[in-house]
Amino acid sequence: MAAKKLYDSFSKALIDEVHRWGAMKQTGVTLRYMMEFGSRFTHRNHILAAQFLHKELPIRIARRAIELESLPYGLSEKPAILKVRDWYLDSFRDLRSFPDIKDQNDEQEFTKMINLIKVRHNNVVPTMALGVQQLKKGLDPKLDYQDLDDIHQFLDRFYMSRIGIRMLIGQHVALHEPNPPPDRIGYIHAKMSPVEVARNASEDARCVCLREYGSAPDVNVYGDPNFTFPYVPTHLHLMVFELVKNSLRAVEERFMDSDKLAPPIRIIVADGLEDVTIKVSDEGGGIPRSGLPRIFTYLYSTAKNPLDEQSDLGTGDMATMAGYGYGLPISRLYARYFGGDLQIISMEGYGTDAYLHLSRLGDSQEPLP
Amino acid sequence: MATKKLYENFSKSLMDEVQKWGGMKQTGVSLRYMLDFGSVPSDRNLIIAAQFLHKELPIRIARRAIELDSLPYGLSQKPAVLKVRDWYLDSFRDLRSFPEIKDMSDERDFTQMIKLIKVRHNNVVPTMALGVKQLKKGLEDEGLDEIHQFLDRFYMSRIGIRMLIGQHVAVHDPNPPPNCIGYIHAKMSPMQVAKDASEDARSVCLREYGTAPDINIYGDPTFTFPYVPTHLHMMVFELVKNSLRAVQERYMDSDKVPPPIRIIVADGAEDVTIKVSDEGGGIARSGLPKIFTYLYSTANNPLYEQSNLGAVDMVTMAGYGYGLPISRLYARYFGGDLQIISMEGYGTDAYLHLSRLGDSQEPLP
Repeated sequence: MAAKKLYDSFSKALIDEVHRWGAMKQTGVTLRYMMEFGSRFTHRNHILAAQFLHKELPIRIARRAIELESLPYGLSEKPAILKVRDWYLDSFRDLRSFPDIKDQNDEQEFTKMINLIKVRHNNVVPTMALGVQQLKKGLDPKLDYQDLDDIHQFLDRFYMSRIGIRMLIGQHVALHEPNPPPDRIGYIHAKMSPVEVARNASEDARCVCLREYGSAPDVNVYGDPNFTFPYVPTHLHLMVFELVKNSLRAVEERFMDSDKLAPPIRIIVADGLEDVTIKVSDEGGGIPRSGLPRIFTYLYSTAKNPLDEQSDLGTGDMATMAGYGYGLPISRLYARYFGGDLQIISMEGYGTDAYLHLSRLGDSQEPLP
Repeated sequence: MATKKLYENFSKSLMDEVQKWGGMKQTGVSLRYMLDFGSVPSDRNLIIAAQFLHKELPIRIARRAIELDSLPYGLSQKPAVLKVRDWYLDSFRDLRSFPEIKDMSDERDFTQMIKLIKVRHNNVVPTMALGVKQLKKGLEDEGLDEIHQFLDRFYMSRIGIRMLIGQHVAVHDPNPPPNCIGYIHAKMSPMQVAKDASEDARSVCLREYGTAPDINIYGDPTFTFPYVPTHLHMMVFELVKNSLRAVQERYMDSDKVPPPIRIIVADGAEDVTIKVSDEGGGIARSGLPKIFTYLYSTANNPLYEQSNLGAVDMVTMAGYGYGLPISRLYARYFGGDLQIISMEGYGTDAYLHLSRLGDSQEPLP
C-alpha cells in the first residue's frame, strides 16, 4: 500500500535530492534534432545520448514528483495519487543510483533500466484518473467544475511531461533495434504519409464501431497519398483514431434508427509550408457551444475506468487508455508536443469538425511544463 | 480643427459631468427584451424607452470619452482621435442639456436629437483607423495588444449605442414590414440573408475580377428565428467576400474550375451556426491571429483627406480592412461568436455562431 508520508518509504537524503533535481533547468529537444541525432548510428552517439538522459530524466521526474506532493483539494493524499508518486520516486532513485555511463556495457545496462522505468509507468493515466475520481466523490457537488481549473492545468502539464519522458526513453530504446524498417529512426518515420496513417487509423476506428453497433459509416480520405514528412506515426495514429472514433459514434447514434443512409466521415489532409493539417468532419449532429469546453476536460469523464479494483493491467498502451474518456485532451497534448494543435469546432444540429495541425518543420522544441 | 486641450472647447463643469457619468453603472438589454418591448410601441412605452435612453446613453458615451482621453503611446493626442473625442463630448452635451421627457412631443424631439447624434458619429471607424495609423510607427507588440483591446471595447460599445439609438428611431416607423420590430426581424430566415449577402459579395467579385466562383448554400429555407438582418448580412458578406477573393486569386491563372464556396446553415437548440468554407489555399497558422487585428490593415483609407463621406454605412467601411474584427464584435454583441480555422495549402472555414435564444445581455465593456 502506498505510504501517506514520504519519509515512511523514502530516506530524507533521497527526498532532499528530489527537491534539488526538481529545481534544475529542463532541456528540450526538437523532432528534427532527435531525427538527425538518431540517424547517425555510432556507439559514441549512443553513449552521449545515454549520458544526456542520465542527467535529464531525473530532472523531469523529480519535478513531477514534487508537484504530485502539493496538489490542491487534498488530491495528493488520494491512494491512487500516492501510488503514482511512489512510481516517480522509485524511478528517480533508480536513475540516481545508476553509476556514470562510460562504455558500451554501461550504455546497454542503462537502456535496459530506462525501458523498465517506462514499463513501470505504463498505467499512470488510468491510475491518475482513479485518483481524480476519488477526489470528485469527496467534493461538494455544488462546486462548479470550471473552478477546478488548477487541477486541470496540473493534469495538462503532468501528462505533457509524461509524453516527453516516454518519447525520450522510447526513442532511445528503439534506436537500439538492429534491423529497423526503411526510413525509420526510432519512433520517427522520416517519410511518413499522413494519408496512409489516416486510412489505417480510420479502418481501426471503423472496426471498433462495427463491433459496437453492427454497422459503421464510411470514411473518405482526401489528400495527396504521395506526400510525406517526418513525424511519429504512432502519435498520429492515436490522434486520428480518437477523432474518427468520436465522429463514427456521433453519426451512428444519430442515424441508427433512421432510414436515411448515414453520411460519410470526411477526412482532408492538407500540406502547407508550415503545417500539415488533417480535418475530420462529421454530420453527427454537433455539440452545443456551451458543451464544447467540457470535451477537453479530464474531470467529466463518464467512461468506465478499467482500474476500478486496482487491478493490474500489465502493458496497457496509450491507445487503449485513450478510449476511457481522456482521448481528446490527451490527443491535444500529443498534437502540441511537436508544436502542433488540435481544435474542435461544432455546428449544433449539424456536425463537428476537428482540425489536427502538425508542424511540418520539426523545429519546435518540446514543451517543458 | 480639434483642439488638444479639453478645456478650450468644453467648460469645466461639463468635464466634471463627463467624469461623473462615466463612472456610473451601465445597463444592458437583451435582444429578446428589445423585441418584446418594441412589439408594443404605445405612447407610454415610447416615453419610457426615451427616458431610459436619456439616462443610459450619456453614461456609455461619457465612459468612452474618458477612455479616449487616456490612451497610451500618445494616441489620445493624434488629430483624428481628438476629432472623435470631440464628437463624443458634443453628443454628451446634447443629451445632458435635453430637458426631462414628459410627453409625446418631448419624446419626438428626443428621438430626432439622438438620430442626429447617430449621424454625427457615422465615420468614427475610419477616423479612428486614421488615428491608429498615425501611431503605428515604432510600437512594440505589447503596446499593440493594449491598443487592440481598447479598440475592441470601443467598437463594441459603439455597436451597442448605435443599436439602442437605431432601434428606438426605427420603432417609430408607422408602417413597418411584417414581423419587423425596429431593426429586429422576428422571423428572420438565415438562409435568405445568406443568399442575399452572397449575391452581393459575388457582384463585388465580378466587378473586381470579371468572374466569380459559385456559392452553394445548404440548410432549411423555412427555418427562422429573431435577429437583426443587417448585422447578419454584413457578417456573411464579409466572410463570403474574403472566400471569393481567396479562391479567385488561387485559380485565376489556372485551367481548373474554381471550387465553389460552401455555406451551411445549421439550427440547433442554443445556436444557429453558419459555416462559410472555401478552398482558397488557406492561411498559415502563424498568420491567423493577424487577420483579427485592426493594426494590419493594408487597404486604402478613404478618409485620408478628411473628406466628408456623408451617410457612410458600415458595409462599405468593412471593406477597408476592419471587416473581420468588427464582424466578430457584431457576432459577440448578441451572445454569438466568429471563429476562423484554416488549413494551409487547402482552404479556410469560418464559423458564425448566433445565439438562438436572444437572452444574452449586451456586452458592456
